[in-house]
Amino acid sequence: MSNTSVINASYLNLSYHDESSEIIKDASFTINKGDFVFITGPSGSGKSTLLKALYGKLKPFSGDLNVGGLDMNEISNKNLQKLRQNLGIIFQDYKLINEWSVEKNVALPLIIAGYSKDIQHTQAKRLLTHVKLLEHIYKTPLELSGGEQQRVGVARALSKNPFLILADEPTGNLDEYSSNVIWDLMENTCEQLNTTVVVVTHKIPNIFSIPYRHLIIENRGIYEIH
Amino acid sequence: MKFIKNHITFILPLMAVLIGLEFYFVFERTTKNYEEGLKNNYSMLIVAHDKVDIEYLRTLNSHIATIEEVKKDSIVDEISKGLKDSSKASLSKILPHFYNTKLDTYLSMDDISSIKADLEKSNKIKSVETFDNSHNSTYKLFVFLKFIFKIFILFIGIVSFFLIFKQMEVWSLTHKDRMNIMEIFGAPLFLRSAVMYRIAVTDAFFSSIFISLVFVYLKYNWASSSGIEILMHNRELIFEFGDFFKMLGISLAIVITSVYLVVSNMKDER
Repeated sequence: MSNTSVINASYLNLSYHDESSEIIKDASFTINKGDFVFITGPSGSGKSTLLKALYGKLKPFSGDLNVGGLDMNEISNKNLQKLRQNLGIIFQDYKLINEWSVEKNVALPLIIAGYSKDIQHTQAKRLLTHVKLLEHIYKTPLELSGGEQQRVGVARALSKNPFLILADEPTGNLDEYSSNVIWDLMENTCEQLNTTVVVVTHKIPNIFSIPYRHLIIENRGIYEIH
Repeated sequence: MKFIKNHITFILPLMAVLIGLEFYFVFERTTKNYEEGLKNNYSMLIVAHDKVDIEYLRTLNSHIATIEEVKKDSIVDEISKGLKDSSKASLSKILPHFYNTKLDTYLSMDDISSIKADLEKSNKIKSVETFDNSHNSTYKLFVFLKFIFKIFILFIGIVSFFLIFKQMEVWSLTHKDRMNIMEIFGAPLFLRSAVMYRIAVTDAFFSSIFISLVFVYLKYNWASSSGIEILMHNRELIFEFGDFFKMLGISLAIVITSVYLVVSNMKDER
């Protein structure tokens, strides 16, 4: 693994059950700091499964997977919690806590890390201004549209300045306008903060203007398209 | 509304357990007080050839609490009306010694028979009279009432525990999404479950305080007019300050166990 690599997979096999039902087989790839990577593939090809392995929800069946310098095969619960605290994760179904305010949802990674209420509030305000949702700060997610909820999800992913952002079909449930807003936000983040971003999606957006890498999952393997 | 409903559905069965528990305390204290009365009213009559003292009797059986010698003079006076003084003196000499004996605790007839047998083994003791019939029926009724009451309390406890477990299932559904999301973002278990512990501990305090206040009310406003003699004269039997801490301790144990069971079923599925 080079000094700048954030994710390194070597002969990675992923399965929910056993060897016969492997979803990803013998995949090897490296993602470096600052890369913006799209992972595409047909439905059921294992895109979301790969993402689950990257944030430690699924343990590799065999092979090596290293995220942020941590071996995902041997990672302890404590280290897994630390790793997740330094990731920004965006989901297709937003995964917001509906009984909490928008502000508290955005501040969730800061709450978990034990930051003071003042810092939580300041950071939430800053990010909600950035995603143009400041006027909704005290509302609950259910009072917002789908596009707005996903912007809250993006703000939450950014709130602790993560070294890696993982996004699982972030615009899968959104209309074209809302999708463009989300891609815009992610482009800016990668450019301004030099954060590594891995996006799983079925289609790369046309409006994308910054350089990116494209990995495709096909027949259980992962290949890079140049 | 949902918040109140969430609390109420947990507080009510918790209160049922605490009411049962406090009734148990009251019943234990009342029956102990009643037992004390029965014990003090119950005595055995020992007829002895020679004078005996308490130490000697205790070597025969440790349940002997006190003895009191019945004065021979009063017996002689009663049975020797019209006799000469010299005859009275002879009578007094040949009469055995009589002792009223009290026991240290309230015992069953089997235990009393065993004490009688122990005492009668001694050469100094001629016979021991016990008062079986009335004692036995009182004792049996007393034991039966105690048994029925404990069964009743146990039944309330079991039903309440089922309600608490049912509520735990609701909790696990209510909090599952939030806890899963927090887990994805790296929250440790104690932080994920902090809300549930906070609700549960609040409910435990509220239930304990509420039930304590109800029994304090009964103690000061109901006992004296209850018509139950033992409670009218012993109001403290209804509620003691220590009961609050016992109830709080037990309710905390119940709620913490409940939350732990919910939380441990939501561990990382990795």
